[in-house]
Amino acid sequence: EIVDGNVKMTLGMIWTIILRFAIQDISVEETSAKEGLLLWCQRKTAPYKNVNIQNFHISWKDGLGFCALIHRHRPELIDYGKLRKDDPLTNLNTAFDVAEKYLDIPKMLDAEDIVGTARPDEKAIMTYVSSFYHAFSGAQKAETAANRICKVLAVNQENEQLMEDYEKLASDLLEWIRRTIPWLENRAPENTMQAMQQKLEDFRDYRRLHKPPKVQEKCQLEINFNTLQTKLRLSNRPAFMPSEGKMVSDINNAWGGLEQAEKGYEEWLLNEIRRLERLDHLAEKFRQKASIHESWTDGKEAMLQQKDYETATLSEIKALLKKHEAFESDLAAHQDRVEQIAAIAQELNELDYYDSPSVNARCQKICDQWDNLGALTQKRREALERTEKLLETIDQLYLEYAKRAAPFNNWMEGAMEDLQDTFIVHTIEEIQGLTTAHEQFKATLPDADKERQAILGIHNEVSKIVQTYHVNMAGTNPYTTITPHEINGKWEHVRQLVPRRDQALMEEHARQQQNERLRKQFGAQANVIGPWIQTKMEEIGRISIEMHGTLEDQLNHLRQYEKSIVNYKPKIDQLEGDHQQIQEALIFDNKHTNYTMEHIRVGWEQLLTTIARTINEVENQILTRDAKGISQEQMNEFRASFNHFDRDHSGTLGPEEFKACLISLGYDIGNDAQGEAEFARIMSIVDPNRLGVVTFQAFIDFMSRETADTDTADQVMASFKILAGDKNYITVDELRRELPPDQAEYCIARMAPYNGRDAVPGALDYMSFSTALYGESDL
Amino acid sequence: YSVSLVGPAPWGFRLQGGKDFNMPLSISRLNDGGKAARAHVGIGDVVLTIDGISTDGMTHLEAQNKIKACTGNLNMTLQR
Repeated sequence: EIVDGNVKMTLGMIWTIILRFAIQDISVEETSAKEGLLLWCQRKTAPYKNVNIQNFHISWKDGLGFCALIHRHRPELIDYGKLRKDDPLTNLNTAFDVAEKYLDIPKMLDAEDIVGTARPDEKAIMTYVSSFYHAFSGAQKAETAANRICKVLAVNQENEQLMEDYEKLASDLLEWIRRTIPWLENRAPENTMQAMQQKLEDFRDYRRLHKPPKVQEKCQLEINFNTLQTKLRLSNRPAFMPSEGKMVSDINNAWGGLEQAEKGYEEWLLNEIRRLERLDHLAEKFRQKASIHESWTDGKEAMLQQKDYETATLSEIKALLKKHEAFESDLAAHQDRVEQIAAIAQELNELDYYDSPSVNARCQKICDQWDNLGALTQKRREALERTEKLLETIDQLYLEYAKRAAPFNNWMEGAMEDLQDTFIVHTIEEIQGLTTAHEQFKATLPDADKERQAILGIHNEVSKIVQTYHVNMAGTNPYTTITPHEINGKWEHVRQLVPRRDQALMEEHARQQQNERLRKQFGAQANVIGPWIQTKMEEIGRISIEMHGTLEDQLNHLRQYEKSIVNYKPKIDQLEGDHQQIQEALIFDNKHTNYTMEHIRVGWEQLLTTIARTINEVENQILTRDAKGISQEQMNEFRASFNHFDRDHSGTLGPEEFKACLISLGYDIGNDAQGEAEFARIMSIVDPNRLGVVTFQAFIDFMSRETADTDTADQVMASFKILAGDKNYITVDELRRELPPDQAEYCIARMAPYNGRDAVPGALDYMSFSTALYGESDL
Repeated sequence: YSVSLVGPAPWGFRLQGGKDFNMPLSISRLNDGGKAARAHVGIGDVVLTIDGISTDGMTHLEAQNKIKACTGNLNMTLQR
């Protein structure tokens, strides 16, 4: 330490030395030695807090000072921790004992003495303490020498360490550089941008995190080297020579190489990243386009291979064709897209995309599929067109069929109707007309059959086409509902009807012939009977009009006629029989005769009536003549007049004819009111029923009455008067007495009571009764 | 037309006809200046009702009696 120039130590030492030589009482230097020693004590006990050395008397009373000193130099001798300030005795004794035993310092002090004294002896303490000082300072010297040696050695060691450190650092650095450069020179490309970016990141990390410390290291290395060299120089040592390859120049070279590699690496990284970016972009583009395209083509193959046209109708086919056309243009539009995809794939290949194989495979698939689509499209087009053609042909045929089948069907139906047409004919001409028409119709049948064959032929053609080309006929003929089956059926029907009609016509013909026969028969008969009746009528009329012979003669003549007429009745009956046949045969007209049965009947009845009437007339005339006493000449006269005025030979007189007749007979009938009245009166008598005509009988009655003398009503009245005994009334008894019972009762029942002045009870008025009998009463 | 002849009888006309004669009841004669003639009854006029009763279906005798039964006035409807 003295070598080191420690001033205080030097001073202490000086004091000690001084103290050594003047241990007891050196007054001048004593103070200096004392101070030094005190200082030494203070210094040594500085670490011990409970020790405070300020002097050489009180400060040492608690004994801790001594213990501290010992402990400071030879800690193993005292367990300082166990010492207590309040036990000075123990402390002091401990210290003294130890010092004596181990430090070879005799006990110079007494513990009780120190403790018991307020102020221990300063010199004694100083002396004892200096013993301590001597004991330790020897060690101190040795310690200092050892320290010096240590120091020098330490310096050596330090230098060696530094050299070692340098070596180590240098080789670490070089090693690191050696490791790093290949990494920087690695140009293995990554596949993904991510990996590349990771590399870039690594590089960045390297630059930011890993390299800077290394830079620092290098720097440090340099510094260390310089420091070492300086130190060596300062301590007169030889300069440091790094081992082979670890020279500064080597390090610098290596570092340079590193930096070079770095630059190249960074460039490469960026290039690669650019390339990868482009590749990624392309790949993505490829994928997108490929996906879009694939989704577009998805299902197209299936669609193109549809066989939907096999079951389609013509209009559906046309629609499909249109759709297909649209698809074709769509396909064409997609062509350049496929080319684009291929181009991208190509580029990817050129840029050496890591996944080129799969890209190529997909591209190939797309291209193959594209070709396939093209082929399928073409095929479908052909199929559609073919089918369209077929269907069109069929459609045409259908139309043709329909155009011909309809009229033919109509014709057949018309024919059927005609053939079944019921007819009512009344003449042979009519039936012949029908037969002729029927024959004409039959003549048209062969041509009709030809037409039918033609129509069926069309249908067969259609069937053939359908079969040959396996076209699905989902529907029937859209233009008509008439099937060949129907046509054939109706044709058969027509064929069947023809002979039936032949038959019917023949039958009718026969019937008509029969009818004709009947007609002829009837006609012949009627033509005989009719005129016969007519003739007879005329003859009878003539007889009644004529005036040959007597009335009796006339009567006989008439009765002969009557007989012949009666004999003729069978003929009438026969005619009736013929007529019935005719009526049953529904014959309504007969051109063979103008006489109808009704005519004949009427004529016959008229004849019968006429003959009867005429006979009656003649009989009446006879009666009248006999009753009225009209002579034959008078009768003839009457007859002549009547005939004369019967201008129309009707056997009756009209009013004018009658008037003229009356005038000619002397009746004064003027054209005045009275004349008219008179005429009316006469008319009412001769024509009471107001028939408008006057028969010959009525005429005669009138004539006879007018020329008769007596009024018949008066006659009756006169007769009753006689019966009544000339009274104006008659009694019941008189009637019963004079008349037969029936007549009497008749009269009694009908006669009104007589109300004359000379009436008696039960008197009956025969006068009004009499007039009433004749339909005339005077009132 | 109707007439109402003031009685008593005779009325001065001849009645003709009746159901039994199949002739309509009519006037066949008029006495000059008779009541009927003075009432402008005409010859040939058909008698439709006698005293309000229709002559349809009457016999001559019935009609005669009907007329005779009219003691006061004789009312008849006739047709010319």
